[in-house]
Amino acid sequence: MVNPLPLVQSVPSPGEAAAPLWRRLYRRKGPPSLFLLLCLNLIIAPAVQGATGPQLLRTQAYALGILGLVTILLSGYLFVVMFQPERF
Amino acid sequence: MLQGWIQIALTLLIILLLTPPLGGYMARVFSGSETRLDRLFIPLEQLIYRWGGMGSLVDMTGWQYIRAVLFSNLAMALLVFMVIMFQGLLPLNPTGLGSPTWDTALHTVISFVTNTDQQHYAGETTYSYLSQGLGLGFLFFTSAATGMAVAIAFIRGLTGRPLGNFYGDWTLAITRILLPISLVGAVILVAAGVPETLAAPVVVPTLEDATVQQAIALGPVAHFEIIKMLGENGGGFFASNSAHPFENPNGLTNLLQIVAMMAIPTALIYTYGIFANNRRQAWLIYAMVFGIYLGCIGVAAIAEYQGNPAVNALLGGPHPNLEGKEVRFGWAQSVLYAVTTTGTMCGAVNAMHDSFMPLGGAVLLTNLFLQIVWGGQGTGTAYLFAYLILAVFVTGLMVGRTPEFLGRKIEQREVVLTSLLILLVHPIAILIPAAVTLAFSEQLAGTSNPGFHGLSQVIYEYASAAANNGSGFEGLADSQPAPTALWWNLSTSVSLLAGRYIPMIALVLLADGMSRKPPVPMTAGTLRTDTGLFIGVTAGVILIMGALTFFPVLALGPIAEAFQIGGGL
Amino acid sequence: MNRTTKRRRDRKHTPKVEMAGLYQRAIQDAFHKLDPRIAVRNPVMFLVWVGTVVTALVTLDPNLFGTVAAPPNPQRVLNGSITVILFFTVWFANFAEAVAEGRGKAQADSLRATRSDTMARKVLPDGSTQSLPSTALRRGEQVKVMAGEMVPADGEVVAGLASVDESAITGESAPVLKQPGTDIASSVTGGTRVISDELLIRVTADPGQGFIDRMIALVEGAERRKTPNEIALTVLLTVLTQVFLIVVATMLPLATYVKTPTTIAILISLLVALIPTTIGGLLSAIGIAGMDRVAQFNVIATSGRAVEACGDVNTLVLDKTGTITLGNRLAEEFIPVDGHGLGDLAQVALASSIFDETPEGRSIGQLAERLGATLEFNRATVEGVEFSARTRMSGIDLADGRQIRKGAVDAIKGFVRSRGGHLTPELDTAYEKVSKLGGTPLAVCQDGEVYGVIYLKDRVKPGIKERFDQLRRMGVRTIMLTGDNRITAAVIAQEAGVDDFIAEATPEDKIEVIRREQSQGKLVAMTGDGTNDAPALAQANVGLAMNSGTQAAKEAANMVDLDSDPTKLIDLVTIGKQLLITRGALTTFSIANDIAKYFAIIPTIFSAAGIGALNVMGLKSPQSAILSALIYNALIIPTLIPLALKGVQFRPLTADQLLRRNILIYGLGGVMAPFLAIKLIDWVIPIP
Repeated sequence: MVNPLPLVQSVPSPGEAAAPLWRRLYRRKGPPSLFLLLCLNLIIAPAVQGATGPQLLRTQAYALGILGLVTILLSGYLFVVMFQPERF
Repeated sequence: MLQGWIQIALTLLIILLLTPPLGGYMARVFSGSETRLDRLFIPLEQLIYRWGGMGSLVDMTGWQYIRAVLFSNLAMALLVFMVIMFQGLLPLNPTGLGSPTWDTALHTVISFVTNTDQQHYAGETTYSYLSQGLGLGFLFFTSAATGMAVAIAFIRGLTGRPLGNFYGDWTLAITRILLPISLVGAVILVAAGVPETLAAPVVVPTLEDATVQQAIALGPVAHFEIIKMLGENGGGFFASNSAHPFENPNGLTNLLQIVAMMAIPTALIYTYGIFANNRRQAWLIYAMVFGIYLGCIGVAAIAEYQGNPAVNALLGGPHPNLEGKEVRFGWAQSVLYAVTTTGTMCGAVNAMHDSFMPLGGAVLLTNLFLQIVWGGQGTGTAYLFAYLILAVFVTGLMVGRTPEFLGRKIEQREVVLTSLLILLVHPIAILIPAAVTLAFSEQLAGTSNPGFHGLSQVIYEYASAAANNGSGFEGLADSQPAPTALWWNLSTSVSLLAGRYIPMIALVLLADGMSRKPPVPMTAGTLRTDTGLFIGVTAGVILIMGALTFFPVLALGPIAEAFQIGGGL
Repeated sequence: MNRTTKRRRDRKHTPKVEMAGLYQRAIQDAFHKLDPRIAVRNPVMFLVWVGTVVTALVTLDPNLFGTVAAPPNPQRVLNGSITVILFFTVWFANFAEAVAEGRGKAQADSLRATRSDTMARKVLPDGSTQSLPSTALRRGEQVKVMAGEMVPADGEVVAGLASVDESAITGESAPVLKQPGTDIASSVTGGTRVISDELLIRVTADPGQGFIDRMIALVEGAERRKTPNEIALTVLLTVLTQVFLIVVATMLPLATYVKTPTTIAILISLLVALIPTTIGGLLSAIGIAGMDRVAQFNVIATSGRAVEACGDVNTLVLDKTGTITLGNRLAEEFIPVDGHGLGDLAQVALASSIFDETPEGRSIGQLAERLGATLEFNRATVEGVEFSARTRMSGIDLADGRQIRKGAVDAIKGFVRSRGGHLTPELDTAYEKVSKLGGTPLAVCQDGEVYGVIYLKDRVKPGIKERFDQLRRMGVRTIMLTGDNRITAAVIAQEAGVDDFIAEATPEDKIEVIRREQSQGKLVAMTGDGTNDAPALAQANVGLAMNSGTQAAKEAANMVDLDSDPTKLIDLVTIGKQLLITRGALTTFSIANDIAKYFAIIPTIFSAAGIGALNVMGLKSPQSAILSALIYNALIIPTLIPLALKGVQFRPLTADQLLRRNILIYGLGGVMAPFLAIKLIDWVIPIP
């Protein structure tokens, strides 16, 4: 008598349409782009160290470089939201 | 003290009286109504249109308009770049100047084509009469006309009309507004003692020591000077700009220059009022900007009048700060000039902004950040309306309707363009390069003062570039052959271009979109944008969104400096 | 007025919504929403989320991004405190959304409860029936429903006559009669129960596609599409976030240059304080709560866009009957003409109405009996003539061949002429007299002889005039549509206070008036129930169909009122406006807050630059200033959750008055409140 299927399940949800985007980004582009970022940091970190002088340890320069890259990525993310807000 | 305030008040009164006739005239010109100059100029304009192959001037769509702006500006930039690079081979070069370095030429051209006129060179020893008069003087007219045409297109779009034809408005701006006023103004300047000659510099023995010879630079200054002011260009013929006695010899020329700077930006608001058929709104906006302008003058004037506490202690009494000021103008005229030139994005200077008291400097920087205390030729007025649109969007929801401005809905597209235009371009074009420069200050900055003042100098340079102002907190090693000149020339060029063309594209697209929207009728439920309340709200939005963004840099620059020298507040 | 509001308030709580356990579930959901894949959808809060991760890292190692001057342990405590506060900022925002969704879900559950799966009796082409679960039904199939059974899906009655209990969805306990063919009574909603007899129903919606299902999806929020206005606001908030990201990120080299170094944790704190977290955290909750309010009004909206459009409506097109006037008109007076006595007229009127079961007909009979009329014939010997839209009259045929009719004056005139009677101007005088009183005149005749006119009095709903006044103040125009003649319509319009009216209106007029208004750029809302109304409902920007109406009308509309109360359109305008006002108010508040946060944080973190005098609030120390600003920033979100869910109280004022009021409260209040609150927090927290 009781049907286990929830009724709303058959409604195509707009949320689902967006989900693959994140999954794609997460699964396929994730690891290689992360690797690329770390490579990029090999260039940035010495520059950071150069700008601040000897009081900054090498590890700190690398950490700061990564933080800078994260900031730039966040900024890029915000630009995507700005121009395609309906995707979020 | 009183005399100074009276000078300021009288100047402002003249500007106020000038607004309705000039604004009305501009509205007639750009709406194609009859004017008294028709008989004189229509044949000339027809000739220009025929030579330019423009034929009938059809209305342009948004992107057509943008392409017209960009390509015409690019073509002019290339032309002037060539003139400058080959000035050694070209005539009218009595001092035999060679080519400047490529980066100086590039920066100069970008700076002049964007109506900025930031100068990383000394005019009299870098550019020939031909480069100055025909190259840069040509850009004085065309860059100002570009701004004016975009503003008119923007006003047309906002009020639901087609954008018009860029080349048509551009021509009209020159033939009907800039050229006639410049002709009259140049004659007055010559009469007041400004040189207008193609003769080479005069070499004379100095008074102190007759054996020492001094070259006194001359040139075709008067005509250059008037359009420099009227078109909000600001690029001086001589290195010391309007502080130079041959550019700005006396009180009369100083008054004329201030009025010329203010004339068009103030009148354009009135022109809008006629286009929108709502003069009440125009006057309210005018009053708001006038209020901010008066506030800026007040703060800067008091700071300068009180003078430097350190100097006052030595002198044993309060004295106005006259460092870097011309005695013939005094503190009042210098402050009024400085606030006006940074507010209107003219960028001409009759005193050293670098030597202003920290708070005076903070006011000048704030003007550059806001860009609407009258604002640049045309663009300032457009920014003003962009702020209005933003205020409508933020507060308009509070009346329970989708926000509307002039009967057109403010939706996603408008919000993207407006906020990009007035919120995002500036921080990107000022703070990011400034941060890079200061991070590598030894290699890139070349500031004359370290610490807070050095920070102000760097921020000011980029703010001046991004706002298309052109004045400077001098003291940066930004002229060739300094080692940091290349960085300065190139990095400010990026800010110049970003500060000019991204907003222009956004403005035209915004106006284009608005003009295509079906108008929504006014009802009692519509937010009225022509009330004192709403204009007050707009002022709040301008201060919170426009100025607070830069509060941290103001705090670390001029404000910290003010505390440092003590009693600066 | 009082009675209607009271009734509406009662209805708000039916169907009952299960609120128990709402907060426990919301607390859990708020944690689930920390998943970065969900967090990334809210740009403002995502930045806070990333900031929390970074501050957590510098709590573990304060020297991660550069050696800090302060000893590591106090630094760790500060960074740890910042991390905790930031975490709660994100969590509070999640919680706000979860509560809104939870309330929506509870609402949805109660809606869904009406749809407990039943077995349906599907009618096969050969006429036999097959039993199958209701979820297996498809559009176009026919089902048979017997007394005591649930209607398995939305549908239209094809055959049968039965009374249906719709209290599960409307809360109205009296059963409704359903039969095929008629406009109003032929549609049934899934989840209602047939009480007597049986119906043959053609299914009009696939499972999961019915109105209720769409509403469930909408109020649950999870599958909600952002409305256009919400998207525009998201853009603005994103730009502000971007601006402050640049401002704060560039501050590191700037501060280092002027030798007032600061730490990453402090810069992140500044960033979080400046970006519009308040509105960013509450934005989606406001939207979901708006849908929920519509659901509480027992109105089903098919999209959030439609609810938002309600606030923008410029013109309401309203049917007179049922919306502006009470549905039933009552006989007020008999006006005899052509020399007939009052008694004669009463006699004929009574005779004409003996088969008329409408409230109007019954009231005519009652009035006639009061005047002493009696039936002079046997009911069984006469034949009733039913009212039809074509003839516009009804009456009886007596056994002796006499025909008695009552109906619209024009129709009776035609009847009299066809019977060879003659008409006098007296009839027109009576007709005009009644019309001028705002009544509906009905003429009564026997064969070729006109006896007189019955004055049916229209009663304007109590309180409706005040509501129209309110609407006018909000800039909403009302247009009344009526089948009455011009004079009557004008009188009613005057009495009800509508701005415009259209008399003798046909369904085509409805579309016409909507098109006319739309061509002037106006947004139009209307109600309707009949199949005739469907095109107009589709044409209107907001079309509210009555649940009692036909399927065609319901499908053309973007909202369906389960209570079939056309007056609700006015409430919907209020809900739409309230939604926009709430969004605007919290945005203004959030942005205005920045001034105080600036003055709390900047002077203290750069006190090394000598700008300590800007610390106008006199906060104890840089640590205390930062923590106070952040605590305020975090706590303001839960503080405003009730406001976000309930919506800013709406007052029917003009735009200028609303702006003045809201700017004062949320703009000026937004500037002042954080100064006081941050100072208070600074005073309370035990940090030196």
